[in-house]
Amino acid sequence: MTAETGAVAADGSARRWPPRVVTAGLAVILLALLLIPAVTTPRFLTLDNARAILASAAFVGITSVGATMVMIAGSGVSLATSQIATVVAMFFLGTQHLGLGAALLIALAAGVALNAFQGAVIGYWKADPIVLTIAGGFAIGGAATWFSGGTTVYPGARGFEVLNATPLGLPLAVYVLLAVTVVVEWTLRRTTAGRQMYLVGENRAAARAAGLPVGRVTVLAWAVSGACVALTGVFLASFTTSATVTLGGTLTLDAIAAVLVGGTAISGGHGSAVRTLGGAVLISVISDVLLLRGYSTGVQILVKGVLVLTVVLVVHVRSGRGRR
Amino acid sequence: MSQPERGGPLLRVEGLAHAFNGVPAVQQVSFTVGAGQIHGLCGHNGAGKSTVVKMLSGQLAPDRGRIVIGGETVELRGRQAAQRAGVALVDQELSVVPALTVLDNMLLGDLGVPFVNRRRAAAARCRRILDDLGLERIDPDQPLSALGIGERQLVEIAKALGQNARLVILDEPTATFSDAESRHVFAAIRRVAATGCSVVFVSHRLAEVLDLCDVVTVLRDGRDVATGPAAGLTVDELITRMLGETSHRPSAARGPAQDPAHALRIENLRVPGRLGGFTLTAPAGRVHALAGQLGSGASDVLRALAGLHPGATGTAELRGRPVPLRDPVRAARGGVAFVSGDRKSEGLFLGKPSAWNLVATRLPALGRAGVLRPGHERRAARALAERSGLPGERLDDPVGTLSGGNQQKVFVGRCLENADVLALLLDEPTRGVDVGGRAAIHRLLRQAADSGLVVIFASTELEELLELGDVIVTMRDGRMVGRHEGDVDGALLMRDMTGGAEHA
Repeated sequence: MTAETGAVAADGSARRWPPRVVTAGLAVILLALLLIPAVTTPRFLTLDNARAILASAAFVGITSVGATMVMIAGSGVSLATSQIATVVAMFFLGTQHLGLGAALLIALAAGVALNAFQGAVIGYWKADPIVLTIAGGFAIGGAATWFSGGTTVYPGARGFEVLNATPLGLPLAVYVLLAVTVVVEWTLRRTTAGRQMYLVGENRAAARAAGLPVGRVTVLAWAVSGACVALTGVFLASFTTSATVTLGGTLTLDAIAAVLVGGTAISGGHGSAVRTLGGAVLISVISDVLLLRGYSTGVQILVKGVLVLTVVLVVHVRSGRGRR
Repeated sequence: MSQPERGGPLLRVEGLAHAFNGVPAVQQVSFTVGAGQIHGLCGHNGAGKSTVVKMLSGQLAPDRGRIVIGGETVELRGRQAAQRAGVALVDQELSVVPALTVLDNMLLGDLGVPFVNRRRAAAARCRRILDDLGLERIDPDQPLSALGIGERQLVEIAKALGQNARLVILDEPTATFSDAESRHVFAAIRRVAATGCSVVFVSHRLAEVLDLCDVVTVLRDGRDVATGPAAGLTVDELITRMLGETSHRPSAARGPAQDPAHALRIENLRVPGRLGGFTLTAPAGRVHALAGQLGSGASDVLRALAGLHPGATGTAELRGRPVPLRDPVRAARGGVAFVSGDRKSEGLFLGKPSAWNLVATRLPALGRAGVLRPGHERRAARALAERSGLPGERLDDPVGTLSGGNQQKVFVGRCLENADVLALLLDEPTRGVDVGGRAAIHRLLRQAADSGLVVIFASTELEELLELGDVIVTMRDGRMVGRHEGDVDGALLMRDMTGGAEHA
């Protein structure tokens, strides 16, 4: 049974290096990056710091775990993520008077609907995801400005404050991040739809010729991703207790960075939610170390860029060699 | 470069040989082409035509032998070197750019164009060359996209002439042409030859070859078996030379039970520009073969049925239920499984394990409520590997690391033992497959037919058609030419496929 599980779990991404070796290698690098600063930075190995790292990884992490599914299914990336998170946050705060449950449902439905629509255009009409989501981002951003009248949206009731709770000292968003990772990973590995996402991402023309439901699979990946963006939007809204059109901030690119650092191939067909979680935590660890050592925000962003570039090159070179 | 002696050969090919990974494609080919001569190069699939063309145009270096152009032995390292030596290749893959004008296309890739473009001089020259070809109707400033496919090919020939070619090689230029387009192209080729430029014409349309060429060289198994004037040759004689001992199938070798109730009925299937009105009833239990060369429409029949031609019209019915066209998902649901001739880009998921590939189209049946059951999946993959003769220990390897034969077994195996599959459509089922794998795949297809599936395949290989096809339908120019059952031989099929019928 273990052999069978292993075979199903193997995503076959590497030819020279079995996936297990790659995962182990990434884990070693992650550990090294955790240990070296731990030795040299006194305040790094405190419980408070660990909490800070997880907390700062949570918001972006939830979105990036969902974005992993889109990338695996071969749709590349969504560049409208920040705007969708903003709109969802506004809906969430603007409907607080209906009660927390209703507001949550409305927020989730908005995120799923907006993303699934884009997924449908990409999956059924073969639109280019980059072009479509740039256009979609402008449209949604415009709608957000219109909806809010360009001003700040304040909540009508304070029910959302439950979401800022910190059970066992960790923000609720961290637990949600872990839960989302487990659900997405399970969906990818163990469901028909998840397997079809890997196949469509690996070779869309082959999937089409085989009669696989390319459109439906694409829509599903985008819908799940939309739900994740909505969760991030809800937490952002609760955290800031108000929403402006700039609430989403750099979420779009931060989420893509975490997916890429996790080693998911931008061309599709390879990757996993757990690796994306690793990517998000890694980025947050590095930012934290740089912060503790007194480097400026600029340096933190610069290092993030270099990290993404390095991982993308390694993944690209590896899969490029494998294809030939 | 010296001018060729008057009347002497412009091109002399001596003892040319080339092997791919030790497998000889061309073993011993010699022929000469005089100045101003139109020289036909004929041969069945695998005879070595395209390898000879590649060596002449600098894309492959000969292992042995030499190429003499205008009295000088040349070594052609790359297409630019060939262009400098005066050799231009026009192949079926058009290398002209539709978005540019005719003039721009003619200047494109011309090594003689000065760095600063002198358009007025170039335009005048372009006009002259087009006029020489009898193409007064084409304007140099016209965008190429406004021209038909035949005229684009002519522009490509004009481009070759503009680059001072002394030898123009035309590789299957008419494969996708209508008759009218062919006539224009031929008229232009004759004018080219009249200027003293030599032409090598490669085609599988034998009637055209005899019509156009002065001299014909026939290749078989990598050797030139005959060279002679085209006048006085008939298509049948040409076919006999191409095939040597023709494979002949005794009549009624097989008469497997057919099951008309479980038939695939195709009626008036059309694909604009590729296939015109194709009708066929293929009962289950018999293997149907579509015999046709490139551009004949044989593979378009299969693609249209698989839902991969968005413009397809007509009706198809499988076991009495209509098969929707233009939608691959619904075609698959209707029971059609398609094995593409392009295994790499449209067939397998190369980076994924063989096991994943084998079960890719039956995931819903292996799971429960959308959740995969690894044990079931594993057993199904094992059973399919065994059924299709794939070594079980390769199940976890990415399918791209397998040999061509084993890849094809995975591809075919994917469609077997599947309750949803009622008709199996295969395009070139053994392309790039070794001899052993080929026999294994033929056995699989035979078993599939015996188990009650409709099996239709398209192929250009006579041996495969004769070996496997119970009913052989010959096609040319998007139309059915003949239908053969039982007694049939390779020469007959070849005549149908190459257009010999009108001349016989």
